[in-house]
Amino acid sequence: MDDYKFLFKVVLVGNAGVGKTCLVRRFTQGLFPPGQGATIGVDFMIKTVDVDNEKVKVMGPLTTHFHTLTLVLQLQIWDTAGQERFRSITQSYYRSAHALILVYDISCQPTFDCLPDWLREIEEYASSKVLRVLVGNKIDREDREIPTHVGEEFAERHNMYFLETSAKEAENVERLFMQIAEDLMKQARSRDLPRYDASATSINGRTSTVSDSSCCSKFQ
Amino acid sequence: MSLDKLKFESMQRDIQNELLKLKEEEESLFQDMNNMLNQKLFLDTKIKGLAKLVPTLKVVKHEAQDLVSTINDISESSEKISGKIRSLDAARSRVSECQHRVSDLIDLEICSQGVQTAILESDYEKGAAHVHRFLSIDQSLLQRTATDVENVSGMLKSVRTLQDAASQLQAIVEHKFNEAVKNEDLVSVERFFKIFPLLGMHEEGIKELCTYLRTKVAATAEKNLKSAITTPLSDKRYSVIYADTLTLLFEGLARVVDTHQPLIETYYGPGRLLCAINILQKECDIQMKRVLTEWTRARQINKKIQLITELSRMSSSSSFGKLEKTDPKDLDILIGEITLMHFRTELYIRFIQRKVVSDLEVGVQDQDEKGKVLKSLENLIKNSDLTHSKHELLLHYLRLEQYFMEESVAKAVSMDCIEPSQQTSSMVDDTFFIVKKCIRRSISTGSLDGICAIINNACRVLENDFCDVLRARLRQGYPSGYLDLTQAYNVLQSSIQQGRLQASDTEQTRTAFLVALNNADSSTEYVDALCDSVLKEIEQALPTMNSNEKGKLESCLSGLSSVTTNLKEIIEHGIQQLRVSAIKPRINPWVDNFTSNNHQLTEDELSTYEAGESFVQTLIMNLETLLSLFKDVLTTANYDAFVSVLTTEVTQRLEKVIMKSTFNRLGGLVLDKEVRSLAGYITAATSWSVRDKFARLTQIATVLNLEQVSEFYDYWGDHDGALTWRLTPSEVRTVMGLRCTCNELIRRSDFKVEDIKRLKL
Ligand SMILES: Nc1nc2c(ncn2[C@@H]2O[C@H](COP(=O)(O)OP(=O)(O)O)[C@@H](O)[C@H]2O)c(=O)[nH]1
Ligand SMILES: [Mg+2]
Repeated sequence: MDDYKFLFKVVLVGNAGVGKTCLVRRFTQGLFPPGQGATIGVDFMIKTVDVDNEKVKVMGPLTTHFHTLTLVLQLQIWDTAGQERFRSITQSYYRSAHALILVYDISCQPTFDCLPDWLREIEEYASSKVLRVLVGNKIDREDREIPTHVGEEFAERHNMYFLETSAKEAENVERLFMQIAEDLMKQARSRDLPRYDASATSINGRTSTVSDSSCCSKFQ
Repeated sequence: MSLDKLKFESMQRDIQNELLKLKEEEESLFQDMNNMLNQKLFLDTKIKGLAKLVPTLKVVKHEAQDLVSTINDISESSEKISGKIRSLDAARSRVSECQHRVSDLIDLEICSQGVQTAILESDYEKGAAHVHRFLSIDQSLLQRTATDVENVSGMLKSVRTLQDAASQLQAIVEHKFNEAVKNEDLVSVERFFKIFPLLGMHEEGIKELCTYLRTKVAATAEKNLKSAITTPLSDKRYSVIYADTLTLLFEGLARVVDTHQPLIETYYGPGRLLCAINILQKECDIQMKRVLTEWTRARQINKKIQLITELSRMSSSSSFGKLEKTDPKDLDILIGEITLMHFRTELYIRFIQRKVVSDLEVGVQDQDEKGKVLKSLENLIKNSDLTHSKHELLLHYLRLEQYFMEESVAKAVSMDCIEPSQQTSSMVDDTFFIVKKCIRRSISTGSLDGICAIINNACRVLENDFCDVLRARLRQGYPSGYLDLTQAYNVLQSSIQQGRLQASDTEQTRTAFLVALNNADSSTEYVDALCDSVLKEIEQALPTMNSNEKGKLESCLSGLSSVTTNLKEIIEHGIQQLRVSAIKPRINPWVDNFTSNNHQLTEDELSTYEAGESFVQTLIMNLETLLSLFKDVLTTANYDAFVSVLTTEVTQRLEKVIMKSTFNRLGGLVLDKEVRSLAGYITAATSWSVRDKFARLTQIATVLNLEQVSEFYDYWGDHDGALTWRLTPSEVRTVMGLRCTCNELIRRSDFKVEDIKRLKL
């Protein structure tokens, strides 16, 4: 029995061909897919991540005891199509995202030049609390066009995390997603834990998501 | 002397022993000799018998030698025979090959003679059959025959004749086919189409036919599109005329595939359908694009999309005025047409896939080959304009549908009206009607991505636009100030009866508050029902969803559960407001009255008290009035929540005032009775159990109602009669302490401080 089940939605965006699908495949299946076509609409994948179980103090009516919580963390990863014609499909996923990964190709200047457009879209559709990560992919390539510090500065200017990866060589991919998982976990813990009680099932009998990050206003 | 004698005696004994031994030996020797003599007779007869066998042995030896030589002979001759058989076999296969070659040669001769005649007689089937026979002859074998046979020139001539005839026929058939096409001579088209494969022209045949079919499809499509463009506004199909045109295109193509697929399979063999579809798809792409271009122009799609984009960039208040410019009804119809167009396209794609796959199942056994063909089918579909146009349609659909949903919900909310005698207002029914309509329409596109996007959008609209309105109304608060309760009650009742609420601002604010609270509650039910029905409908519309697609859908649907979370928070907030402004200020004075009563009663005082209107009777009457004010105006769930909050307030307040009073036995007895009747009243007023909320109060009354301190052990401890105590031991002592006050009028002994102290808890 899982004591607490965390469910986070992670959405990948960025120009077509920068390697979003490859990053997701590398992380979820541990492989670099050969010649798959461009993503149509959105693809959906789930990866369950191990988290250290933790001891928490449980205040009972009579006694206080320690209880080891079993934590289950599920990352729901939404891989979006980069092309314009799928935009209205992909945009609809921004709002409920807990983390957004914005990807560009370090060997392709135009993919970097489009980042401001993507940020505008994120501003418009995503929650203001969403965790934003900038990723420069394909660092295995020799023909780099965007120096690391340029990406880094861009991320800093826009208040984003930054990481350079290679889906091909499995470089930093695990780290990227695990870092996001840990961060979201920390965020969720700083709010009241019992809200994510596994017994609180939703309409479908599924565990409810961490719904707090939606942009709606709340009563004080 | 005696020594010699001794010596002699011993010698004598030795000799006698020796003698005895010799005698025994002699006896056994004698015995042996007797035995030998006895056997001699037996041996003699044996020897005689053997001697007789000697001549027979000689015969046997001879015969054995004969046998060996015979066997040698046999082996030799069998060796010879098998060699002969081997050469016979070789000879026979040579004969058969020879026969084959002869028959080939004969056929070659016949074909070469027949083919010319057939061509001359325009019997192209016959001619092609000859060529087909010729082509079926192993050409390399023919070459070898040529080197073996003496009459080379005759054979080579036949070959040349046939080769010439073949190319002649190929040209003729191609020409005749084109002529038939030009003359619209369908019979001849089919006739020559069947001849192509006989001449080894499979690909050419399919290409010729499909090119011809393309022109037919193009002509029909042209005609249909023209009639669509000229369809008058008054036509009852006007609003979906382009969807109809697209449907006609796809149906026409499907019919072409259906009628020609058996022909291709019979005369060209299975596994060649993809080749045909590849060619037809080009026409399909062209025609689909033409229809879409016309549609975009006729329906002013770009203009509408642009307007929508501009409107959504403005604030919602200013966009509302402009909404009238894009007639929502008009938009509604247009969206209907797009979904139809998208769905038809989706169906046609599924049709092609099904056809090619089943053709493949029959024709191709090799798994690798099959995979390759499937891959190229996938690429054909993925890279076709058909698919791109489909995506474009979905894009338009989503833009318009999202706008439609947002604006319609905004309108439903702004035109909200409270019907008298209704607990909720129109915005709930209307909003969920719209949301459901939009989601159902997305289901009719047949695209899971489209459905998911609309569900996501519905979640956003409900969570933000819809819930925000409820939040805003509750934030106005529930005005607490009023002069007379019955008066307020009457105002509300009469205004409801008159059908209009013309009461004071305060009354209107109150009603608005309660209706918003009810709206939130009934919305949670709507969300649950929506989720259920939508899931069922999607599973019906997309029965082949894989587990990943199901996961995707469920994840999107679970977004609706966060709408429920929002609604529950809204309800909780509203109930808390009622607690502060409607419950607390009224209940406190009623409960505080408890302190004005004496709880240290004599028997006489008790009977007087019981004869008059007791504290609890007054309290219940007051609560009754308060509850009746809310009972009919709140939904069942909200009313239950209201009663629950009220109960908590009453019990907590009562506990507080009890702790401020002092009791004697009779006072405790009265309290116990009063707590029971209060609990009984509230239990009757609601659908859930109030036991839990009354637990502490009931236990306090039990303690105050004890005869003596030691009696407490009846209720405390591990035994059967014991209670699960909500009071801590120190609380129990404090409550008991309320019975310790000295009063001269008390005749009976009451609790002593020392007894309470001595109590082991
Ligand atoms: N060299 C290199 N190529 C990559 C890497 N990641 C993706 N690619 C290639 O980039 C192309 C597009 O990748 P894809 O994941 O489909 O991009 P998407 O459109 O963003 O999903 C493919 O040909 C991949 O093989 C990487 O880390 N290194
Ligand atoms: Mg992709």
